[in-house]
Amino acid sequence: MRTDNPQRTLKWAVHLSVACLVALWIFPTLGLFVSSFRTVDQIGTSGWWAAMFPSEQNLVVRTAKPETQLKIGDLYVIEGELFAADKDVTLLAWGTSSKAIDSYVAGEVGALRKGGTIQVDAGGRYRMQNTQPFSGSRGQRVFATVTVPPEFTLANYQKVLFDKNNVEGMAQAFIATMTVTIPATIIPILIAAFAAYALAWMNFPGRALLVAAIVGLLVVPLQLALIPLLKLHMNIGIGKGYLGVWLAHTGFGLPLAIYLLRNYMASLPKDIIENARVDGATEFQIFMRIILPLSFPALASFAIFQFLWTWNDLLVAKVFLIDSSGQTVVMTAKIVDMLGSRGGNWEILATSAFVSIAVPLLMFFTLQKYLVRGLLAGSVK
Amino acid sequence: MVNKILPTAMVLALAAGVVHADNVTVFGPWLGPDQENVEAVLADFAAVSGHQVSYVGSDSFEQQVLVDTAAGSAANVSVFPQPGLAADLASGGFLTPLAAGTADWVRNNYAAGQSWVDLGTYTGAGGEEELYGFFYKVDVKSLVWYSPENFEDAGYDVPQTMEQLKALTKQIVADGGTPWCIGLGSGGATGWPATDWVEDMMLRTQSPTDYDLWVSNDMKFNDPKVVAAIDEFGWFAGNDDYVAGGAGAVASTDFRDSPKGLFSSPAQCYMHRQASFIPAFFPEGTSVGEDADFFYFPAYATKDLGSPVLGAGTLWGITNDSPGAHDLIAYLQTAKAHEIWMALKGFLTPHKGVDTSVFSDPTLKKMNDILLGATTFRFDGSDLMPGGVGAGSFWTGMVDYAGGKSAQQTADEIQASWDALK
Repeated sequence: MRTDNPQRTLKWAVHLSVACLVALWIFPTLGLFVSSFRTVDQIGTSGWWAAMFPSEQNLVVRTAKPETQLKIGDLYVIEGELFAADKDVTLLAWGTSSKAIDSYVAGEVGALRKGGTIQVDAGGRYRMQNTQPFSGSRGQRVFATVTVPPEFTLANYQKVLFDKNNVEGMAQAFIATMTVTIPATIIPILIAAFAAYALAWMNFPGRALLVAAIVGLLVVPLQLALIPLLKLHMNIGIGKGYLGVWLAHTGFGLPLAIYLLRNYMASLPKDIIENARVDGATEFQIFMRIILPLSFPALASFAIFQFLWTWNDLLVAKVFLIDSSGQTVVMTAKIVDMLGSRGGNWEILATSAFVSIAVPLLMFFTLQKYLVRGLLAGSVK
Repeated sequence: MVNKILPTAMVLALAAGVVHADNVTVFGPWLGPDQENVEAVLADFAAVSGHQVSYVGSDSFEQQVLVDTAAGSAANVSVFPQPGLAADLASGGFLTPLAAGTADWVRNNYAAGQSWVDLGTYTGAGGEEELYGFFYKVDVKSLVWYSPENFEDAGYDVPQTMEQLKALTKQIVADGGTPWCIGLGSGGATGWPATDWVEDMMLRTQSPTDYDLWVSNDMKFNDPKVVAAIDEFGWFAGNDDYVAGGAGAVASTDFRDSPKGLFSSPAQCYMHRQASFIPAFFPEGTSVGEDADFFYFPAYATKDLGSPVLGAGTLWGITNDSPGAHDLIAYLQTAKAHEIWMALKGFLTPHKGVDTSVFSDPTLKKMNDILLGATTFRFDGSDLMPGGVGAGSFWTGMVDYAGGKSAQQTADEIQASWDALK
């Protein structure tokens, strides 16, 4: 019992911190998810947590225009509904001046500043009447304090995915992103797997130094290389385009890839490889038949890293890919475009985040069983 | 999988690299609706000239154009939101001077033509001064937005002078309301709306010559005249009763959210000083001219400074020389190029030869009249200052000032940062 106690406390501490971390990640994501179903005005006026419950709101609505007035007897009358028929709102108080927005309760009759009276009932049905004709080009403003049930909309998703001004660009952006991402994931893996095998199992002078240099390259920030590398691309005639962005992603991804794969391959049992050598296998045969199949978890875990990084990348794409032809705009750039010249369209941002997250999620869930195994196997012996 | 995708992508890459001789590429800061508008203008240019034109916009234009010009991958024509940036590129030899005669055309056909020529003329890499930038699409900044119906409800009149505006501000507070909505938040550019306030106040308290001296730093930033202008802004923004949410909320409110207070119920504020583009951030369905309107941010009646107008504009420069690029600049001098965008949204022009009846709504015409009726027009000073000040310490300094730092200390620090740049 006594020996059990510290372990149990530890277990609780682990569980608690894991729960905290999960909540820390889930909470903003949930907020973003709820926001993606709200209109821009809702997002602007209340927090996403308020969206789940009926809320009291101050609305500004308008009556019908004066041109719709009818003459009944001696009176000019305008009648109608303040709220759309499909909205289930309850009117608590109302007013006709911005200085006194709750001067009347439902059913009361109020005076209009320009003459005449107005009456509004709890359902939002109103009747304006006056002995003189109503004038002006717009309806009377009515300030209504109402309780509104929770309301969600799919309009944001409609706008991001199916809007007719967008749908072509979005589809093109999806293809462009795929054209960048798939080669930019596969090329570094191909190169890194060969390099990692050589650095792990082939004996040649300067091997340790080479490994150290590659690890050292991990700390070089890629921003440092943007302009020189683009200059090089322009000079040798690659220009801006897919080939350039693949090369850039490959270059920026290789140090991590080689480091990760080398560590994993070095941890494979020595006996197997020596047996193979004794049996007369060439280095290439050892690599293809033994190392590669055994390294699958490490390859998969790096593929996830590289795929997510290139999928979400905006900087490298803007520098090396997107030219002024506008044919190679990737998803991230397209989403930024939709935010407008001055940003601030939160509903688009929230929705786009969930649209662009879909493919990486799919990728992650199909390969996630290799992720932890691949990472741990490389470091823990 | 690999075998199938690689060749397809290779073909795509090759196709993207082919350059058409008659292809004019344009790179600018506009996205969303503005992008559709500029594309409508460029489509007409394509139809008239026979060139192929493509436009790409970016929200990080300022950074990207530097990378692209340095690497030699820039578009033929770039649309600069800030003259300072274009001047930097011109001195680095990355811009091509506009065709001879363009300067004369601007001088003769734009209202206050000489000032537009001066704003687009820079020293090139060789040390000679030439016209590098052509202004097309300008914004008026000296506007105060309000809700006419809220003014009616409360019985307020549109002020004609700065004295009346200050009296109205006090009147609204006395009536239990809040006069102003001010928000400085803008992500990495937080603070810029306050620089517009200070510039407007400079123009309303000091002569245009002083303004020019200030912008070129021949008058120090911590000169008493500038400090007084900052304090004029502080008169509005530094008083808890005058600003929605209190003075403490000014720096943290996003400038895109701040005009929404005009339309909330009950109204959070009565007035909002912002440039002509702001209706894009009004709540959905707001009709400008009816739900919302604007008046000229007035000048002091007691100071003999006329009616100064602060503005900004985009200037088109050639970042990758080609005959098509010069054709495009020539096309922008036609009245048609201006009228196409005038008929759309959010476009003002100093071009005197256009038919102003094509404006899509009367408010734009009213704004253009403010522009054409200005006795003094001055360009947004922070855009003309060196980037480290105009897009750096001036912004952050204004945030500090809104946070409670004294005007003198703020100005001292901005001047110190300017000295450090020299």
